[in-house]
Amino acid sequence: MLKRLCLALVLLTSSALMTAPGRAMPLAVMADIPLGPAIPGESRYAGAVVRTVRGMIEYTRWPQRNDPLVLCVAGPTQHAGQIGSIRLSDGRRVDRRNVNATPGALGGCHILYLGNLAIALQRQLTEAVRGRGVLTIAEADPSNAAEAMFAFTYKPNGLSFRLNVDAVSRSGLRVDPRVLRLSQGGA
Amino acid sequence: MPVKDDLPLPTLRDMLASAHLRLIMFAVLLATASLVLSGGLVIRNYAQRNLELVGRTVAYTVEPAVLFGDREAIRQGIVSVAAGRGIERVEVRDSAGQLLAEWQNPQQGALATLSRAANPVFWPNPAVDQVHRGEDHIAEVRIYGNSEGILRYGLAGTIIALACLGLTVIATRILARQLQSEVVRPLEHVAEVAHAVRRDRAFERRVPASGIAEIDRFGRDFNALLAELQGWHAGLTSENRELAWRASHDGLTGLGNRQMFETTLCGAIDHARRDGSALAVLYLDIDRFKAINDDHGHASGDAALVAVGERLRAAIRQNDLAFRLGGDEFAVLLAPTSGRDQAGMVVERIRQEMAQPFRLPSGVHIAARLSAGVAIFPEDGESGDALLRKADARMYRDKRRDLGSGVFVNA
Repeated sequence: MLKRLCLALVLLTSSALMTAPGRAMPLAVMADIPLGPAIPGESRYAGAVVRTVRGMIEYTRWPQRNDPLVLCVAGPTQHAGQIGSIRLSDGRRVDRRNVNATPGALGGCHILYLGNLAIALQRQLTEAVRGRGVLTIAEADPSNAAEAMFAFTYKPNGLSFRLNVDAVSRSGLRVDPRVLRLSQGGA
Repeated sequence: MPVKDDLPLPTLRDMLASAHLRLIMFAVLLATASLVLSGGLVIRNYAQRNLELVGRTVAYTVEPAVLFGDREAIRQGIVSVAAGRGIERVEVRDSAGQLLAEWQNPQQGALATLSRAANPVFWPNPAVDQVHRGEDHIAEVRIYGNSEGILRYGLAGTIIALACLGLTVIATRILARQLQSEVVRPLEHVAEVAHAVRRDRAFERRVPASGIAEIDRFGRDFNALLAELQGWHAGLTSENRELAWRASHDGLTGLGNRQMFETTLCGAIDHARRDGSALAVLYLDIDRFKAINDDHGHASGDAALVAVGERLRAAIRQNDLAFRLGGDEFAVLLAPTSGRDQAGMVVERIRQEMAQPFRLPSGVHIAARLSAGVAIFPEDGESGDALLRKADARMYRDKRRDLGSGVFVNA
């Protein structure tokens, strides 16, 4: 019994680590993240978005410990209205900074939140930060054509995201395998 | 010895078998019970640790899903970890105690039902683990155990115990048979010898040695008892024979006495009457016997009687019989079909024998004469008494002549 459990754990971990680099295989998608109460004047997805972004940051590990982390928001956004200053469970702080949607403006960013931009521009921006330890999240690219690490998808009753394993493996970051497994579990 | 048929006594083999059966059954049940109990406790301990481990694993697995608030992902995380034997139910509740996801063992069937009934006994409390993210407590995992494994173990233990008991019964029978041949056979030897002694007076029989100390001792004592019995039996037999001999014989001369003479004569007359053959009786006494007694003493009279007995025995033929009727009176029953001539010849030989002097205790040698009378059946009488009277009368006639000039053998 014990052995079986250990085996399950090993399988769990290894299946997450078997995401070999170079294989462009975007993975979908975890299931519904509940939306929560709506706030007047805000997008109904805003609450779920800020919770999910926080979770993504929680389970991502940077090569160095940074405190605070800088979350750069590029371009106009629909659902990022509630993203302000986030406090993580280990006490670190995440600060929001709005930046221009140009590759040159991304210095010092640890997280890149892509707003409602043209897919080609989004791709340009993700390619600019690839391998430099930046967590990329696309708000308005449900098919994940721009190859951000995470891409939100919107359902009537909930929020979902796609996880691009290829992008994760080339990002220079480590994402907790349990989050990878979450997306697998939702597939 | 009467044997009660209505209530047969148990044989030694039965008793041995039942004693063994009880003993071994007790041993097997004791061993099984202790083994099942201790094994059950060990399994229960392992299962408890398993529950705790599953709790930890579930907590670890569902942590991101809890943080993201994805209930479906929580449920699938539980299934991926907990869907195995030994777990009845898993619950994940948030920090406010609200149920986020649960999983229930879907197993059906008799064993599952039984297991559910036994769960409160074996698992009164669930294993609890907390889900933390950093400093924050975000959820609680509760794992309820399943007693199916323990029940399976108990069931297997019971089946093995029953199988062992079956083997035990067979082994007991075999053991009892062996013991019987070792214990009962020597006893049967003893019984057989006792029976033979009682039925056939086979006092010379002895119990053979056996391989068991107690029975061997018993056998030796039994044999000693048999030897004593044999001695007593032999003593009694010879005493009886001597008594019978004394009853029919004269102690002094060793000749048959009057009673034996009468019985023998009776038988001989019957025989002769049947065959139509003749029979001759001699009647004898010692002349001047009173004078021998008076002159030389009673011991000399006895010596004279003994001498007469010896000479009579020497003089008569092989199938003639000599008797001492009492005092100095003797009789000879001649062999069957002897007539007057043979009687004369026998008397003549007696006279010759008596002519030799015999020695008295005082050292004096004397010779004594016998007077004799003969009676023949059936001419001189049909009965023993008549024959004897006739012979007696002729003997007195012979004595009166006294001169020893010959035997008066005819009237």
